[in-house]
Amino acid sequence: MTTPVLTPIADLTARFPGSVTKDERAGYSGFLVAKENLLEVAAAIRDEFGYDLLTAVTGVDYLAENKMEVVYHAYKTTGGPGLVFKVQVDRIDPVTVPSLVNIWPGVDFQEREAWDLLGIKFDGHPDLRRILMWEGYQGHPLRKDWKEPFFEEEVKPFKSRWPDGKHVFAEEKNPFRDNLNFPKNFDPDAYQPEAEKDLYSSLERFTLKSESGLKTDQIVVNMGPHHPSTHGVLRVAVTLEGETIMGLKPVMGYLHRNHDKIGERCTFLQILPYTDRLDYFNSMSNNFGYVITVEKLMKIPVAERAEYIRVIMAELSRIQNHLIFIGMLLNDLGTMYTPSLYAFEERELILDIFEAVSGARMMCNYFRFGGVVRDIPEDVMQKIKGLVQDRLPAKTDEMDRFLSENEVLVGRLKGVHVINAEDAAKFSVTGPVLRAAGVPYDLRRADPYGIYDRFDFDVAVRTHGDMMDNFLIRFDEIRQSLRILEQALKQIPQGPINSQKPQYQVRVPAGEAYGRIESPKGELAYYVVSNGKPNPYRYHVRPPSFVNLTAIEHICRGTKIQDFVALLAMLDIVMGELDR
Amino acid sequence: MSFWINPLKVAADWLEGLLTGWGLDPTLAHVLVAFLGVMLLIVILMVIDIFLVWIERKTVARFQDRLGPNRLGPFGLIQPFADIIKLIIKEDTTPGGADKVVYNLAPILSMMSVLVVWAVVPLAPVMLGVDLNVGVLFLIAAGAIGTLSIIMAGWSSNNKFALIGGFRQVAVMVAFEIPMLTMLMIPTILAGSMNMNDIIQAQGGRWFFLLSPLGALIFLIAAIAELGRAPFDLAEGESELVAGFNIEYSGMKFGMFYAGELLHAMTFGGIWAILFFGGYRFFGLELVSPFLAIPIFLAKALIGYWIIMWVKYTMMRIRIDQMLIFNWVFLTPLSFVLLMVTALLNVLLRDASTWVYAVSMFASNLLVGWIALEVARSMSKKERTKGEGNSLSLRRGVG
Repeated sequence: MTTPVLTPIADLTARFPGSVTKDERAGYSGFLVAKENLLEVAAAIRDEFGYDLLTAVTGVDYLAENKMEVVYHAYKTTGGPGLVFKVQVDRIDPVTVPSLVNIWPGVDFQEREAWDLLGIKFDGHPDLRRILMWEGYQGHPLRKDWKEPFFEEEVKPFKSRWPDGKHVFAEEKNPFRDNLNFPKNFDPDAYQPEAEKDLYSSLERFTLKSESGLKTDQIVVNMGPHHPSTHGVLRVAVTLEGETIMGLKPVMGYLHRNHDKIGERCTFLQILPYTDRLDYFNSMSNNFGYVITVEKLMKIPVAERAEYIRVIMAELSRIQNHLIFIGMLLNDLGTMYTPSLYAFEERELILDIFEAVSGARMMCNYFRFGGVVRDIPEDVMQKIKGLVQDRLPAKTDEMDRFLSENEVLVGRLKGVHVINAEDAAKFSVTGPVLRAAGVPYDLRRADPYGIYDRFDFDVAVRTHGDMMDNFLIRFDEIRQSLRILEQALKQIPQGPINSQKPQYQVRVPAGEAYGRIESPKGELAYYVVSNGKPNPYRYHVRPPSFVNLTAIEHICRGTKIQDFVALLAMLDIVMGELDR
Repeated sequence: MSFWINPLKVAADWLEGLLTGWGLDPTLAHVLVAFLGVMLLIVILMVIDIFLVWIERKTVARFQDRLGPNRLGPFGLIQPFADIIKLIIKEDTTPGGADKVVYNLAPILSMMSVLVVWAVVPLAPVMLGVDLNVGVLFLIAAGAIGTLSIIMAGWSSNNKFALIGGFRQVAVMVAFEIPMLTMLMIPTILAGSMNMNDIIQAQGGRWFFLLSPLGALIFLIAAIAELGRAPFDLAEGESELVAGFNIEYSGMKFGMFYAGELLHAMTFGGIWAILFFGGYRFFGLELVSPFLAIPIFLAKALIGYWIIMWVKYTMMRIRIDQMLIFNWVFLTPLSFVLLMVTALLNVLLRDASTWVYAVSMFASNLLVGWIALEVARSMSKKERTKGEGNSLSLRRGVG
């Protein structure tokens, strides 16, 4: 397996002697940048070294060393290995780091998330509010000294769950433990949610002014959290002038469960079923990304047959995701469920296969470190072949024929601009949206993982970046996935399905790893830090929905409310992974 | 035998005789009988309405590869009754801050506007509520009440989504009333009368659909827009306005809107049939007995309803600016041109033989339609190529 992320780049220390040093810790890679020089170094990384896509920003709390670290992963949209650079600051409040939002605007939400969960203050960020936790929340939950209510132990399995072999819920024993924190003068019984002054003042600051010269009124409409267009519980506060959107601010966190913290409490293997719940349409892809990251840390090979099974499952998952996308987009455009039910029919067949191999239709939990959990039975193999060779190509063409020529659809989609290539890279938008804008950036080609380098396929790319291209590129991707599947089904060898012995506890050596895959929605990445213990020291997910949503304000300001609904669908968000 | 020829009159005469025989004042008896007749019509319509729910759900299920309601009764026929019971026992809410009178009046008006239309609809040659000599105008006036009810609901609900839905309905109403009125002129010109029964009688031998196919099509489009069904369901805007104007309504108040919408759709199917497909006429069968004429008319109305349903369940919603441009730049001028051509040909070919008249009418319609489509196509092509070069301006402006 290739691990290009870990390839060092010597130039940076030579370019900035004194302010940049190599990260010498065992198992770590990349560069340490002094806080004072961060902006200068980051600008050079983007302009001189050409790393135009900053995919992930996150923090790690090294409590023992009394340091707070911010980790940046920068990549080139032309492909190739990435550049990891970090900033270490003393862990004394307020922990401040300069914001990179002027260099890569795509860090906006991720910096807000780091502020929210880790309490790292980003100087110069224009809108640094909490993003996942509620306003008025006390503390920063991903800090290592933060303890949740009902806290028992640092890591699972908690001993209290089976005293003398019987399980008792700690919550039942003692509902309010000492560490339940409230702000000063806070009475939970008398709590009334305050008006969200921060949100609305921020919305007002980023609202366009009317240019028509007429006297008009603007109204603020809250689309969501319960709204059919938001695909879950996203809330978007929108300022409307007639039908035109003058300003908007997404509000999220209604499904927030602090996936990262849960991960740090669990053992490496226990995390795996939790990843299913991130993007609940593509549990196979989520598993894939996570096992790849941990395998990087463990430095273990993957069984040959399992590699093929992984590709087959990931590509089937991509096909059904894009089918859902097409159906749901048309729902948002106002067809009364007719196309989406046609799409669901094909999806059910793919879910049947998932059920046959893993036992679950959506929450598959199918991958393991070093392979997969079960082999594909021969009759299921025949079913997959029938689906891939006959049914799915025919049905994809049928859908394409029914929809793509429809005059109303063309009228709604064609010429409605989503995002252009330059802005897409700036806002760290990845996946089909980036490719529809004309950037052929597909991790299966640009930074191959698994065995994708063995297959012959084209990176689907379109040029205009309008809604029509975003719609059609999904059909292109389904067809390319079918090509990959056909080759994989032909080449798949017999053999063991796991290179390791089945085990409950894996040994992961200390170090860090950043594993990323091309999930159907964009770049799905995991950043895992291990300190040699059974549980990860830091576990971070970089979900494509969350980062792609950063661009929503840029995309949607000035559009009609009807287009806004379709544009939101174009980004293909799913709340399970957006809120984590 | 006269009962089979004119059952309503026979029954009414008998009842009136009975009532006066009991010593009731003849005027009062007449009013009472007329009232009973109205009640009978409304009851029949409401029963049809109940089964329209079933028809719609079943048809849509077939479109969507599903079964539809199939648990209650044979083919799920009892399902609509269960739906109604559910709606009736649901809590009836009025949002705080709502304008209570207007809010509660809106669903009633919505239902009423549809029922009122049936006053001038001839079910059979001898069966119609009022033989109004401006029946066509009455249609438009009654239809406007339905639109008014949507605006009232949107405005009084004290909800921003409802308000936007109400705004959109105003835009749709102002826009599509014009082509619709213009298209109502075509049967009027061809029949030389605004009376509904006269229009049907004038379609002996050739339905107006054969003389003005384009007119029928434009009328259907405008009717769908008036109804607020896809692709013009902007006021409801399910995916962006949640439910639009009726977002705050619950229980039977929502049920009134829903039933009103379905009955409205079938009513427009019926009017479409009257204006362009000969109403109750079907190769002289209607003369045999009203008991044959009524099913013929209802079948034609249901076919129109069915076509409206196809469009609803296969089309996406168009954007509001597209809807306005489609109407003001395309549909309205086209309907004016068509009206002028029809009127001109009608005068010029008055003395020509029937065949020449019919063929030239048909051909002129096709020609006008073809030219309009070609012009629209070249215009939109130009617009789109412009848009590709500078998609930003298209996005901010009108498209």
